[in-house]
Parts: sequence; structure tokens; C-alpha cells
Amino acid sequence: MTDREQLISKQVERWDLFARLMPTAFLLISLVLILFDVIDFETAFYVGLVGFATTAVVWWWWAIFTIRHLVITLNRASKNLIEVNQDIVRATKEIEALKNGS
Amino acid sequence: MDLKRYALIKAATNVISGFSMVTLICLGVAYLSFKNAFVFQDIKIEITNNPITQEKDIEFAMIGSKKFECNSTQVYGVAYAEDGSHSHKLNAFTKQYIRNTRPGEEVPNSWAMEVPPDMRIGGRYRVSMTGEFVCTYLIFTQHKSQTFDNILLIVEPR
Repeated sequence: MTDREQLISKQVERWDLFARLMPTAFLLISLVLILFDVIDFETAFYVGLVGFATTAVVWWWWAIFTIRHLVITLNRASKNLIEVNQDIVRATKEIEALKNGS
Repeated sequence: MDLKRYALIKAATNVISGFSMVTLICLGVAYLSFKNAFVFQDIKIEITNNPITQEKDIEFAMIGSKKFECNSTQVYGVAYAEDGSHSHKLNAFTKQYIRNTRPGEEVPNSWAMEVPPDMRIGGRYRVSMTGEFVCTYLIFTQHKSQTFDNILLIVEPR
């Protein structure tokens, strides 16, 4: 695995953790702050909206760059496989030629 | 931590996170719906004793229904002369309105207001009645304002 792929793997783990913890944490913190009159519901609503929008935008761009990297990696792997396949065909033909010659 | 326990905690946090998201979305949608709703629906306000003769007060009648529990904090009217030359503020109640009508059904309401001293020359006016309310719904509280325009008022000279 290359450094870039390790980085993507770590980022996926972080997104997974964020998705599992953030909604519950935000809900609980907001409820406590509203109950103790630190903020009103409108503030919590707009903070949530900004957080949701920021997460969506950041995730969207991360997904685009990650998919681009994966597509490049897949293309390279596919190209290498084609080259290996061509080498095998060539080697098979040479072996057959050697057999026929002998 | 063994693998089984880890998988169990991961599944539990996934379920809790899902429920939290559903709760957040439901609360957000309910709040937006509450915030953007008008206080009164199917509302009608009119002056019942046009033209206002000498020493009479302006009597208003209103019918409408409320979706939420709302308490009025301030109600006032502005009478605009039909020729657009001047206006008068109506805020002296001689008969009070019901402050907190029941939500969900049409409740008639009525009130009376004094003719302002500087309106005694009489004329035709269009009145805008404005109400300021504090509404509550579930865990939400919101300040709301609603105006009903174009109520015909005819005042005879005094």
C-alpha cells in the first residue's frame, strides 16, 4: 500500500468515527445548552445547519479527490495487467515456436 | 478489546448515530415549519360599526384559527387616510380582546378602540391591525408578528 493509499484509509476511518459520534454529540450538547438556557433553539438550529453544510462541502471535495485517485490507481493497475497479458501471449507463442522447431 | 465486543460497540454507535440524525432532522423540519407559519389562518377582521358616529368607539370583530399556542404581547392599529395624506395610531383599547384564544379552532374575538383626538375631523381610512405574539410549539418558543391590512374605517366629523 502506498503512502497515499494509507492516508486515504486513515481518512476513511476518521470519517467513519466522525459520522458515528458527531450527530449524537451535537444533539446531547445542544439539548444540555438549551435546557440550561445557555443558547436558544434558533442558535442551535443555525449552528447545526452551518455544521451540516460545512461537513457536506468538505466531504464532497474529499470524495471527489479520493475517487480521482482511485480511478488513476485502477487505470494504472488495468494497464499493468494488459501488459502482463501481452507478455504471457508473447511468451506462449515463443514456447510454441520452440516446440515446433525442435 | 476483543473483535466481537468491538463489532458490537461499532454497531451500537451506528444505531445511536442514526437515531440522532433522524431526531436532528425531525426537530429541524418541525422548527422551520413552526418558524415560518403564520399565527392566524383563515383570518378576517372588520369594523362592525362603520361609520363611527359621535362619541362611539371603533369596534373590531375578528375570526380566525390558530395552529399553535400563541399569547399576544402587543396589538395596535394604524389608520391611513385614503388620500394618503396622514395616518393615526390606534392603541387605546376601550374594550379588551381575548389574549390567548384556543389553538386549532375558529374562535371569534372582538375589541374596541378609542377614536384618536386628532381624527375628529372624520374621513375614510384604511386600518392595518398588527399583533405581536409569543408562540410555543413542542420545545420551541418564537416571537411572531402578523398584520391584517385594508380594514375600511369611516369616521364621521365630531
